[in-house]
Amino acid sequence: PIQSVCVLSVGGAWRLGTDVRNTVGNIPMEWYQDYPHIGYDLDGKKIFKPIRNKDELDEFLDKMENPDYWRTVHDKTTASDIRLSDEQVDLVHRLQKGQFGDASFNEYEIHSCSSGPIVSKMVHAIKMGWIKPRKPKETTPQYYDLWAKEDPNAILGRHKMHVPAPKMRLPGHEESYNPPPEYLLTEEERLAWEQQDPEDRKLPFLPQKHSCLRAVPAFSRFIHERFERCLDLYLCPRQRKMRVNVNPEDLIPKLPKPKDLQPFPTTMSLVYRGHTSLVRSISASPTGQWLVSGSDDCTVRFWEVNTGRCLKTLEVGGAVKGVAWNPNPAVCLVAVCFESTVLLLNPALGDRLVVGATDQLITSYEPPEEDKEQAVTWALSEGPEHDKGHRLTLTHPKGVKQVVWHGKGDYLSSVMPDNTSNLQVLIHQVSKRRTQNPFRKNKGLVQCVSFHPLRPYFFVATQRCVRVYNLIKQELTKKLTANCKWISSMAIHPGGDNLICGSYDCRLAWFDLDLSTKPYKMLRHHKKALRGVAYHKHYPLFASGADDGSVIVCHGMVYNDLLQNPLIVPVKVLRGHQITHDLGVLDVTFHPTQPWVFSSGADATIRLFT
Amino acid sequence: MSQLQTRFFTENKKYSVDDVPFSIPAASEVQDLSSVINKLLEAKNGSHSQVEFDFLVRGQFLRTSLASHMEAESISTEDVVEIEYVERFTAPQPEECMMHDDWISSVEADSEWILTGSYDKTARIWSLEGKAVMTVAGHTDVVKDVAWVKRENLLNKLKARHCCRGHAGSVDTIATNPTRTKFCSGSWDKMLKIWSAVATEEDEELEEQPNRPRKKQKTEQLGLTRTPLMTLSGHNEAVSSVLWLDGEEVCSASWDHTIRVWDAETGELKTTLTGSKVFNQLSYSPLCQRLASGSTDRHVRLWDPRSKDGSLVLLSLTSHNGWVTAVKWAPSHEHQLVSGSLDNVVKLWDVRSCKAPLYDVSAHEDKVLCVDWTDSGLLLSGGADNKLYTYRYTACESDAGA
Repeated sequence: PIQSVCVLSVGGAWRLGTDVRNTVGNIPMEWYQDYPHIGYDLDGKKIFKPIRNKDELDEFLDKMENPDYWRTVHDKTTASDIRLSDEQVDLVHRLQKGQFGDASFNEYEIHSCSSGPIVSKMVHAIKMGWIKPRKPKETTPQYYDLWAKEDPNAILGRHKMHVPAPKMRLPGHEESYNPPPEYLLTEEERLAWEQQDPEDRKLPFLPQKHSCLRAVPAFSRFIHERFERCLDLYLCPRQRKMRVNVNPEDLIPKLPKPKDLQPFPTTMSLVYRGHTSLVRSISASPTGQWLVSGSDDCTVRFWEVNTGRCLKTLEVGGAVKGVAWNPNPAVCLVAVCFESTVLLLNPALGDRLVVGATDQLITSYEPPEEDKEQAVTWALSEGPEHDKGHRLTLTHPKGVKQVVWHGKGDYLSSVMPDNTSNLQVLIHQVSKRRTQNPFRKNKGLVQCVSFHPLRPYFFVATQRCVRVYNLIKQELTKKLTANCKWISSMAIHPGGDNLICGSYDCRLAWFDLDLSTKPYKMLRHHKKALRGVAYHKHYPLFASGADDGSVIVCHGMVYNDLLQNPLIVPVKVLRGHQITHDLGVLDVTFHPTQPWVFSSGADATIRLFT
Repeated sequence: MSQLQTRFFTENKKYSVDDVPFSIPAASEVQDLSSVINKLLEAKNGSHSQVEFDFLVRGQFLRTSLASHMEAESISTEDVVEIEYVERFTAPQPEECMMHDDWISSVEADSEWILTGSYDKTARIWSLEGKAVMTVAGHTDVVKDVAWVKRENLLNKLKARHCCRGHAGSVDTIATNPTRTKFCSGSWDKMLKIWSAVATEEDEELEEQPNRPRKKQKTEQLGLTRTPLMTLSGHNEAVSSVLWLDGEEVCSASWDHTIRVWDAETGELKTTLTGSKVFNQLSYSPLCQRLASGSTDRHVRLWDPRSKDGSLVLLSLTSHNGWVTAVKWAPSHEHQLVSGSLDNVVKLWDVRSCKAPLYDVSAHEDKVLCVDWTDSGLLLSGGADNKLYTYRYTACESDAGA
């Protein structure tokens, strides 16, 4: 809308330019909102608003129907609609285009004024070609990189990559005017300081003691110090240490998800109940049909795996510390150790022919020509003992804690832990009824032993390390140190190149025998002491049972190519055992063929997880 | 309230209604639909007595309201819905409880008698009412499975006829063929052996001779030794369950996670179905041609033994909380089966309603080890609590249902 031009009367003399339509002046017209009039005309009469104000509907109809709508302007001062004339519309258009409002004005016209002749001369010169017209400016690209061609090593570059100077050391006690006596150098130290090269000295000055501040002399080294500092500031080359920007998530190895590593035991399926005291040791038959367990209640029980039925119970003379089923499927023998005795039993489970063959094996023994003195007495069981299943009794000089069979089923090893003697480990041969002590020296309290599954090696775990002996060459091959307090249990991978040890300080160490004598990995999944560890014969699984009542099953894949390290992924925590007398799970063993794990606990139960 | 167009049909001619569409409120439940059918039947036949019905929409049992079922199954509510109705089976009612001396490992029912095998090394015969008829001793170890061969007029004494020797490991499962001429056994030595079940004339004569040398008499107590007709090998681990598909094919399930179908005449392996868990038991229904398997996970799976595919599980029924130790198809109903598990519960399933069993029976206090049906509508289950329970299970009316 065209603003009404108003010239206020100054002195009352001007009439020119006074607005004749509405004399209220330049005020907000909203003041007249509530009044029926909108101002006063020249004669002082009220200018009334149009009778009917246009409402929205009227506006809309107007917009649609009125042909002059586009050139109608609502004047606020008179509250009326003014239709613009053609010249006025033209003026509006010219203003919108940015031209001069007055159509008759020609901005290019040369006026006749003082510069007129000069200008016409110039025009003539240009026409003649004497003065070249100004060349059009080269258009610089509108946007360009201010710093594109910067030399990073230029001085300005250093300003960009400002490396702050190292801060000066704040004065310490040595610089005090009255330092404590320990900061003062003794005579020898002072002589030594003087003899050293200035570059080698730790302190560039001698600490001095003054009784009071008044006695402190001028600082002789002032200029020297400032000079050194200035050298540091501008002469020393500084280099920015590029810190590697590592995303911490990249450092964590990408382990496969447990879902992809199936099958492994996930739930508790069966509980074998029957024992009345803690079950220290369990062992599965090589076919996988039965399980034998030995407990502190002086019984050995045989269980059917898939139903949980206790098929046989045998009383023995003391708390059973260890049981082991002979891994040879052609022989049906179980070794049980309690107090100072190792008992070989024939449980008579399974094929009668196998049972009979086992008995044959026992009875077909021929005593050798010379009866050598042995550390252990072999006795054949007879009478009622024989009917119960006993076949051979080996009486040891001391308490036996563990029995373990060799993979072929003929050799047996028993452990009598004793810190002081060298008769801790014995190896027996059942078919020849011969016992040997392979060790001459005592290397520490033996915790457990194991035979190598394939090669003639023998593993002896003492409290802090595991020693690997070559039985054929009769020498020590390797000594593995597990940095844990007291190894409790040990298991050898069926491939023969890896070993795990569980210890009482909640750690499980995996040793790769080809890699080093230090553990390849230490797993700290348990909260309390580990009591038993085991490998599966066929699946890449291993399990550990601890005093926190849980069994943790991990996937442990060993690769045949020597380049890849074993992949260890914990997959499942199996709970179910109840903690009794602060003891939880005492032994774990896997089923020989299925991905199932058995665990025996201090709550007198054996549980099967599948 | 919205209405749905429905059309009812049934296979049981006795309860058929007119084949016209009805307008039913969408929020109807099973009881409402059942009363609708009953009213229709009463209108047709004045002497009709109230019967409970169960309804199936597109082969699935209706368990919620009609509207929510159709929404869950994405059935369009615009068209006429075809609803099949069948007689509802009441819950199994426990009838008898037969106490044994030890765990019951297996049970098989005849038309008149029940044969059970127990962990006390004996097998027992009971009448259907629960009376002990006879005890069969002779085994020197736990009896794992029993099967009927032929039932003739029983003498007071039962003597072992034959002792079939040949297995090298515990025999865990036996089954007789439909013609009762042969039986097959599966064992922990990974083999299946087929034996003849026919008693020969000579054997009977020999048994009567009293003055035989002592050694032979001892074996005579166990019957005469018999050797297998055929040995089927191929499983990599213990065979846990064996059954005859028809007269010529034997099906076995094993701990090596496979089900194998063999030809009994030639001894060849025909098909192998592979699963992922140890199989505990198999059952076959000639009515619907399906195999049901119970495994060491909590599922009952249905398989088609004729499929050429290696491992096609048709249906998985999940409701148990422990290993499924026993499964058996109903002899007269092609959709029903019963399963027993280590979680002490026996469940009755209709395979058309695969999300939940029809009924759960928790009569046992310990693991359920075996289940069976009788032809007269009795369910049997035996377990580790030394009890054999029988339950009556029929349709609401006295005659057998659809």
